[in-house]
Amino acid sequence: MSNSKLRKKNNLSNLIGMIYSLAIYTVLYIPVLVMMIFSFNNQRYNYYWNGFTTQWYAKLFTNSTVIGSLWYSVIIAVLATLISVTIGTIGALGLRKYEFKGRKAINNMLYIPIIVPEIVMAVALLIVFMKVGFALGMGSILIGHCTFCIPYAVVTIKGRISGDDYSLEEASMDLGASRIQTFINVTLPSIFPGVMSAAFLSFTLSIDDVVMSNMLSGAKNSTLPVLILSMNKSGVTPDINALTTIMILIIVIAMILNNKINNALKKRRKVEGIL
Amino acid sequence: MKKAFLIFLTVILVSSAFVGCKSSTSSSDNEDNQTASSKELNIYMWQQYISDDLISKFEKDNNVKINLSYMSDNADAITKLTAGGGQEYDLIMTCDAYMESLVKGGYVEKLNFDNIPNASNINESYWTAKEYCVPYLMNYIYVVYNKDTSPIEIKSYNDLINPALKGQIATIDGARNLFPIALVALGYDPNSTNENEIAEAYEWLVKYNENVVAYGNAEQNLTNGTASVAFTYDGNASWAMAELGDKNNLVIADFDKDPVQLGFDLYVIPKGAKHVDLAEKFLNYITNPEVMAQNLIEYPYSCPNDAAVEVASDTYKNDPARNFDYKQNVFFQKDVGEAMTIYNDYYQKLKVGE
Repeated sequence: MSNSKLRKKNNLSNLIGMIYSLAIYTVLYIPVLVMMIFSFNNQRYNYYWNGFTTQWYAKLFTNSTVIGSLWYSVIIAVLATLISVTIGTIGALGLRKYEFKGRKAINNMLYIPIIVPEIVMAVALLIVFMKVGFALGMGSILIGHCTFCIPYAVVTIKGRISGDDYSLEEASMDLGASRIQTFINVTLPSIFPGVMSAAFLSFTLSIDDVVMSNMLSGAKNSTLPVLILSMNKSGVTPDINALTTIMILIIVIAMILNNKINNALKKRRKVEGIL
Repeated sequence: MKKAFLIFLTVILVSSAFVGCKSSTSSSDNEDNQTASSKELNIYMWQQYISDDLISKFEKDNNVKINLSYMSDNADAITKLTAGGGQEYDLIMTCDAYMESLVKGGYVEKLNFDNIPNASNINESYWTAKEYCVPYLMNYIYVVYNKDTSPIEIKSYNDLINPALKGQIATIDGARNLFPIALVALGYDPNSTNENEIAEAYEWLVKYNENVVAYGNAEQNLTNGTASVAFTYDGNASWAMAELGDKNNLVIADFDKDPVQLGFDLYVIPKGAKHVDLAEKFLNYITNPEVMAQNLIEYPYSCPNDAAVEVASDTYKNDPARNFDYKQNVFFQKDVGEAMTIYNDYYQKLKVGE
């Protein structure tokens, strides 16, 4: 009897869990779904549904402004990721491993760019750039993005460094490896997951940044989010919906592939382990 | 010792990088000034506000390259300009309300109207700070409503706070767009700097807020039926009416006493602009009646260029969105100085509640 009661309780909690997660996923994905559906809308300003068309996908690839600013965003995001992960790795190792004067101050100061409202940082940077005569453009946006990506990278990577790594490093150097060899073969692999998540975080932060890019972009190019925001006055056209639909598809496919590859690797490791 | 040397080295390195940048940009400045005519024009303006065909025609005729970049908000553009970013651009679009401060702050160049003879086509009555700007297009901010679905007929701003309109109004946003109509409705100066009057206007807007169903996207909400009344720009109303075509049941509120706000977008040349010659050439091109008339086909806003309106297409001339008889009964947004903080405080209170 108590068994069946327990089962009933389990069923109930399963049901509640189902409804709960369904509600959350609905809130998260219904807007995305609507956005995707409207990329096939046969109307210029997306006021209401007016029939099916694929013309926006064709138009997207001939609209050089949108594609141009997409590439601009991607290039900036990749460069910002590379720079902030490199600096972030060095910074995290240094701040974690070495005792030096002002370490605590530097550690605390890391949080300033995270906490300070982005618009304040953006205007401050703009004023500095203009005072020293640094032309606005890709360089200024890149520096702007690095200012908020680096602290996140340092914090993320620092969390991955554990005490065990030190003894491994010492062992490696005891066995005759140089500092660089030790870094490449021992330290880096042990913190690699942290480096990867820092990279993903930086890329995401950079590619969808609006505030910093808006203030620091020059006259010739702007990033995709800034372009989309500027369409707000007259309404975002469906070719933007088309672009976002494609981007979401790419992300979904990449995630599926990532899972497949990870599973395959795990299997292989298991087989190797048995052998 | 070694450490101190390292720090010293870093400082030198960093500062030399900046010095390098400075000298390189200033040398290119000189080159630009020396060459007889510039080959590049950088314009910062609203998106979807000028015909692409006209831009490419200007590029081809003069063998130059125009870089258009777009602002998302007037205030953003002003921040960028006042922080010193103006020198990146040759032409910046702003609106009449900001002109007084921009001129006072010395952020804009005086124009040489010998190079812009076509500017004489522009109606002088719409033109403030005449030495510094060229008006482009203008916006009446008025009330339109759906004559079939709106519960009441609207004849004044005070009709907008009628409880019958609960959840019916789509409206544009912004402190300096909303407070003036409340001040007018209460019988005060739309650019009032009196705190008591602004506080009263706030109380009026609280009632207005209860009738608002959506901020922004008025034309969208009118055409898809979300709202039956809109407080919006005439250009957006024009789009909504054109979208509905034969089924158009939108009418412009027949105001008999209350004035409506008229604002215009205009071009200025920021201080330190590098291609002033080409910027003035472009201003002369865009004020040419034929060119502007062409532009009005794609962007059917009200236009201060009288000669252009004369030669504009029949569709433009007969646009129902501009068919109202109180065009002269207007007020302009003026610089309210220190009182702006009062407006902002009450505006925030309006937006987030007490």
